[in-house]
Amino acid sequence: MSENFENELRRALRPVDAPAGFTERVMRALPEKREPVVASQEPAQRMMKRFAIPMAFAAALVLSVVLGQHVADVQGQRLADEQRAAGLAASRELMQALHVTSQKLDLAYQAVQAPPSPAGDEENRT
Amino acid sequence: MALNVRQPMPDGLLERARAGDAGAFAELVRTHQRSVFSIGWRMLNRRDAAEDLAQDVFLQLYRKLDHIESLEHLGFWLRRVAANLAIDWLRRLPHMGTQPLEAGAEIAAPQREEDPFMSRELDKLLGELTPSARAVMLLRYQEDLDVAEVGAALDMPVNTVKSHIKRSLTQLRSRMIGAKLVAQESV
Repeated sequence: MSENFENELRRALRPVDAPAGFTERVMRALPEKREPVVASQEPAQRMMKRFAIPMAFAAALVLSVVLGQHVADVQGQRLADEQRAAGLAASRELMQALHVTSQKLDLAYQAVQAPPSPAGDEENRT
Repeated sequence: MALNVRQPMPDGLLERARAGDAGAFAELVRTHQRSVFSIGWRMLNRRDAAEDLAQDVFLQLYRKLDHIESLEHLGFWLRRVAANLAIDWLRRLPHMGTQPLEAGAEIAAPQREEDPFMSRELDKLLGELTPSARAVMLLRYQEDLDVAEVGAALDMPVNTVKSHIKRSLTQLRSRMIGAKLVAQESV
């Protein structure tokens, strides 16, 4: 495309003057009072807008890690309690079994140590 | 982004306008009104609509002064808002931009070296482009923004801006040759 044509276009499209009194009409149309943004608040608001989503993600991540840890702790504790209870029950059963065995052995020992009865001798003789 | 701020402005003007100095704001309006009004005038093809649009742009500026970072940013912001607002208006009232320029509209134009008839015809031919293509051509050739700046102002990819420019130049050139407004060799 020829530069001549583009230059002609630039010349033909020069900005035109605004109508007379335009500035005054704009100034009359302005609201009575402009409410400027408080300078100290604006950066904070911008920062909030900018970092709100990453902060929410980070908070969610931390919360999920803490919650996960808590759940794991509770489950571990429950498992340990169950194992301890099972161990105690097994120990009690073993003690019971040993006690019963001991009683049986006592009876057998007493039976062996006791003198033979006379009725038994007579029977042997006949 | 290197923008042309055509008239030098005193230091602190923006800060004074932000602080509520009406005189400083009026100075900002005076400095940029030609540019904003011209975008409205050539986009909408109506003087009254162009003035309404320009007023609307400056009222928006008044409300958003705290978001303007520098005088350079101000020039870019005003052009961007004016062009996008004009495109919005044309989408809502599509007949507006295709009407011929009002009689006597050339009164608004200052005395210029170039042929005023050609300028008028060119304004009319611009009215035949789509609103987006017209905005691209005005920001590029009236406001002298580069292709990247035009893209940034209109939220348009650079390649789209380039294709708008190429297509519009071809269309305008052929129409102007047809109307014998430009010699074929100069094109």
